[in-house]
Amino acid sequence: MKKRMQSLQYQWFLLPILTVYSIFTVYPLLKSFVLSMTDFNGISKQYNFVGLANYGRLFRDQTIISGVSFTLSYAIATTLIITLLAIPLALILDNKFFTRNLHRAIFFFPSIPSGLLLAYVWGFILSPISSGVLNKILKSTFGLSTQPWLSDPMLAKISVIMVAVWAAVGWHAILYLAFLQGISKDYYEAAAIDGATRLKQIRHITLPLLAPAMTVSVMLLLTGGLKVFEIPFALTKGGPGFETYTITQVIVMRGVNEGQYGLASAMAIVFFLIVLALTYFQVTVMQKREERIQ
Amino acid sequence: MEINKRRWLMDIIMLPIGLLTFFPFYLIIVNTFKTQAETARNPISWPKTFYLDNYSYVFREVPLLHAMMNTTVITAISVGTMVIFGAMAAYPIVFNPGKTNKLIMTYLMAGFLIPFQTTLIPLFELMTDFRLIDRLYGLVLVYSGGSVFVFFLMMGYMKTIPKELPEAAIIDGCGTSGIFWKIIFPLLKPITVTAIIYQTMWIWNDFLAPMLFLNSSNNMTLILQVYRAKGEFSVNWPLFMTLTVIVLIPIFIFFILMQKQIVKGIVGGAVKG
Repeated sequence: MKKRMQSLQYQWFLLPILTVYSIFTVYPLLKSFVLSMTDFNGISKQYNFVGLANYGRLFRDQTIISGVSFTLSYAIATTLIITLLAIPLALILDNKFFTRNLHRAIFFFPSIPSGLLLAYVWGFILSPISSGVLNKILKSTFGLSTQPWLSDPMLAKISVIMVAVWAAVGWHAILYLAFLQGISKDYYEAAAIDGATRLKQIRHITLPLLAPAMTVSVMLLLTGGLKVFEIPFALTKGGPGFETYTITQVIVMRGVNEGQYGLASAMAIVFFLIVLALTYFQVTVMQKREERIQ
Repeated sequence: MEINKRRWLMDIIMLPIGLLTFFPFYLIIVNTFKTQAETARNPISWPKTFYLDNYSYVFREVPLLHAMMNTTVITAISVGTMVIFGAMAAYPIVFNPGKTNKLIMTYLMAGFLIPFQTTLIPLFELMTDFRLIDRLYGLVLVYSGGSVFVFFLMMGYMKTIPKELPEAAIIDGCGTSGIFWKIIFPLLKPITVTAIIYQTMWIWNDFLAPMLFLNSSNNMTLILQVYRAKGEFSVNWPLFMTLTVIVLIPIFIFFILMQKQIVKGIVGGAVKG
């Protein structure tokens, strides 16, 4: 009895988190499921059960198809490019050189402020008008004509992805760097005695030992990439047309702005499933990879 | 000598890449001291004169101090709530283990997999029904669901605290509640710092939730003011850059003071993630 009382005294501590989490996360999730199968419009209190009709409509809505396709390409492209740049960057920043700390700070800093703010600044650099810095530089050094960085469908996608890479690559380099610093120097000394070149050491010691860091970094990049909103929103507002539209933007516009709650909720649920499936798949595959190479 | 040469080589290789990465910040700063006409002509060059009217204009036209107050209040209360709720929740999970608490832990951890975007529409409805739209504390409530991340960090750290510690305190006549507040919570300081840094960066910079749940100018956060100003200043880039510099200053100070802690946080979060 006394033991039981004591146990209950502990359980009170769970009350605050269970309350806020259930009301502000779990309940809305379940409600999304329900709404996705209705024709609720946010205004009339009456609504009908429509089964999976909203899910079918997702595939016929050109804006939504655009949004999903750009979001997926963005998530995959940023993950690949950032990973390919962050690892060599981390290897370099792990060396001793005079401006090392300065460089670490320079690469790291862009990941600290809001993406919205920084993307607006990039809007200035990529602007087609006379103050557009990039066009100005390209014109004066290479004699190139004005490029529509943000209004050509392909260039707009590339620009959005490049700005995202600039903003996040340092953060991920710092993550890899932290793991690099945990690698014992003994491995390298032993390899050097065996006559392994620096390149071979990186290939056979460093990269395998970075596998756990890679699993985490890629997971953060993929999930963060799927949730992308601010950078394309600030750079292109989703344009030209709907070329750089994102899933988040679809949910906000179709749901909150247009009151198509059923359709937007169906999008939200599909999004949830995409995030779930990709995260599960990626983590499983990469953890297997960790086991294999270590 | 040989090593010194290699050192310089790295500096020389990295210099252009570093400059390129830093270049946008250079542009932000130099263009705050130009007129619109000068920026249009020479966006890249060093300013001819140190023209300061942009600063006085931005300070006059944008209620930045008020927005900073709003952002600080929202961030401080949200982060405080998350840290306390998260730490409290970890306490029974770690020190009173059992089947029920294992289940509760799984229930809370599922929160990691639920994107904000999926809950956004019902959340908007909920907030409207409870008249919490355009209320600072409404936004704080929305953020408080983020306690699960803090809970996760706290739980990992709390497991390293020896079980004998609270047991000894019980013998000394300390209650369950007293043990937590007087003994356990103070021991969580290192992980609390990590959690505060993480959550502060998230909420301070967040755009989506404030955009959805705040709308009057009086309640706007810094980022919302940036968003609004971008619409108002349109292509008056010197004014926008000036606003950017002002908004970046507190973030820069935070970065300089906290760089080591942020890095530690990334590593701590990553190792556990």
